[in-house]
Amino acid sequence: MKRSERAALWFVLPSVFLVGLFSIYPILESARLSFYRMILMLPWLGEKFVGLENYRDLATDPVALDSLAITLVFVGVSAALEVLAGLGMALLLNESFRARGLVRAAVLVPWAIPTVVSSQMWRYLFNDRYGLFNFLLFGRATERYLAPLADARLAPAAIVFADVWKTSSFAALIILAGLQTIPDELYEAAAVDGATAWQKFRRVTLPLLKPALLLALLFRTIDAFKVFDLVFVMTQGGPADATNVLQFYGYKKIFAEGMIGYGSAISVGVFCFSLVLSFFYIRLIGARVLEKGTAR
Amino acid sequence: MKPWLAPLLLLLLFSPVGAAEIRFVTWRETQGFMERLIHDFEAQNPDLRIVRDIGPHSSTEFHDLVAQKFKNRDREMDVFFMDVIWPAEFASAGWALPLDRFFPPEERKKFLPAAIRANSYTGAIYGVPLFVDAGLLYYRKDLLEKYRLQPPRTWPELVEQAKTILGRENSSGLTGFSGQFKQYEGLVCNMMEYILSNKGSLWDEANLSGALHSVVAKEAVRFVRDHIIGEISHRGVLAYQEPESLALFTEGRAVFHRNWPYAWEEANDAQKSKIAGRVGMAPLPAFPGGKSAAALGGWQLGISRFSRRPELAWRFIEFMTREETQKRIALWTGRGVAREKIYQDPEVLGKYPQFRAQFEISTAAAPRPPTPVYVPLSNIMQRYFSAAVSARDSDLDRLAAHADRDMDRVLDLLRPRAAR
Repeated sequence: MKRSERAALWFVLPSVFLVGLFSIYPILESARLSFYRMILMLPWLGEKFVGLENYRDLATDPVALDSLAITLVFVGVSAALEVLAGLGMALLLNESFRARGLVRAAVLVPWAIPTVVSSQMWRYLFNDRYGLFNFLLFGRATERYLAPLADARLAPAAIVFADVWKTSSFAALIILAGLQTIPDELYEAAAVDGATAWQKFRRVTLPLLKPALLLALLFRTIDAFKVFDLVFVMTQGGPADATNVLQFYGYKKIFAEGMIGYGSAISVGVFCFSLVLSFFYIRLIGARVLEKGTAR
Repeated sequence: MKPWLAPLLLLLLFSPVGAAEIRFVTWRETQGFMERLIHDFEAQNPDLRIVRDIGPHSSTEFHDLVAQKFKNRDREMDVFFMDVIWPAEFASAGWALPLDRFFPPEERKKFLPAAIRANSYTGAIYGVPLFVDAGLLYYRKDLLEKYRLQPPRTWPELVEQAKTILGRENSSGLTGFSGQFKQYEGLVCNMMEYILSNKGSLWDEANLSGALHSVVAKEAVRFVRDHIIGEISHRGVLAYQEPESLALFTEGRAVFHRNWPYAWEEANDAQKSKIAGRVGMAPLPAFPGGKSAAALGGWQLGISRFSRRPELAWRFIEFMTREETQKRIALWTGRGVAREKIYQDPEVLGKYPQFRAQFEISTAAAPRPPTPVYVPLSNIMQRYFSAAVSARDSDLDRLAAHADRDMDRVLDLLRPRAAR
């Protein structure tokens, strides 16, 4: 027992090392930098320890607060829509029909396209003169064409749309895996009891699917919190900051303005938010799994 | 394979046999001159090879790419393109190499003074100007002639003319004006031209404080919001950079267009443009009582502080900016170059008569004030301008006051230690 444990330790070590090097170290380094005032373009100001000043500034920075609100709305709306769309897709893919394998593979295509490429595609689709989006809505009535990426209300919706299109299939994949663990006998028993299709879905599928749904929601929430490339390619945060999500704001602070300390404080903020969310979800999922374990 | 062969082959692969490489970080250039110039340079300098690293078109994104390379102390970048607003920042950060030993003052005198000023920081020079741009007004000569109109001298006149033409042409595809109003650097250039031509300024360089809250600056911004966006321009311009706005003009769907000098050739190229030969060019309008103001733009070549071969890199810059090359670039592209002499060259003027007017405008063009904190200031201005012009009911007083306060905080960083 002791020896096998020690052996296990050796096997775990490489991954601990890699995680430490590529995840823990950058996070700690960002946290350290966030306590300094450091501006690349003004090297003569030096690296000055300022304690919590960056965080105090962050808490009162109206742009950052707006940005947080925009990010939260984006996360809430897109994650919810993605899990809903994913559920629909998964239910469909779980049925047996001809060419199911092909359809299953096809559904994954959006997810397999690099986000930068699909963002560029959506930028063209949403173009106000030659975009397909306008053509589908208004046909040849060019005077009614909208400019979604130029409108402070439509631009966030356009970003959500592009994100849902791209990542719903990922949610579908997780949910589909969950669906396949539900034993057929339960449906047979329900059929014998005279349950309708809706009752089967409501009473059998949904309760047993909860862990998978939560898992999909967890992945999508955390991923959505880190949204960057869609905004970078499609709107650069505009118009009027309507799509200025936190990660993009932090990126601009660090990479464009050279405000290393302040930008790091934003990154640490995003990290803490994701951490809290993960804990919350993992507790929920953990409780589910535990319940299932004791019921057996 | 014999075991000793592998290291030998590797050695051969990385040995400095053949030409030395100069890495040049640039943007994609569509007129084909860059390729030809590099080819000619390599023919004259068989010991050097230019490797191009292509960055994004947008100046903002290109800046972030180059800044990222500097932060990584990237030795793989020797020569890089610099937008006219970056030399102060790159110099202050210690990223751009001072070029004084290569580029003496008597040589600098041969370039447009505004461009040299933009490349100087605390007494040293950090870039050699290649292109000089200035904001210009393009218009549909045929339409203005049809309605017997002269190119507008004031902004209200431009709006008036656009409305007249739109009203009588009665074509749903036609708009009055196209410019660059997306939230990016180009927005600052566009808005600066309105503000300066109303006797305003972006910020007070002497007192280090924002000036967007001034009555004249707000008046200019209000004019854009109320009379241009959604009036003579459709709201789509709020997502436009140069290429989109130019496309609208070259498709014959805009009466007036604000752009840099390169647009002249594009608009008159029958292959790309439906309005070739029907284009006019004029200084940008001003507000009544103000003076026309063109934003100074343009691109410079700099050498990275981390380059391993600045001497070789200089040979390339010297080639690209020497008189002969500048004349060739001007003749090929019609773009405004940096050497003053080219604007008097009979051959160039014969092919591009507009160079005479362009020289006047470029000489008088207003640079965005050079400062190492330009990017944070620009981000504040982009935020403000975008918010101000993209909503009809924007609260200009509040937005401008906020922008000024944010700019004051950034500008405060420049005050000497004792004053802070």
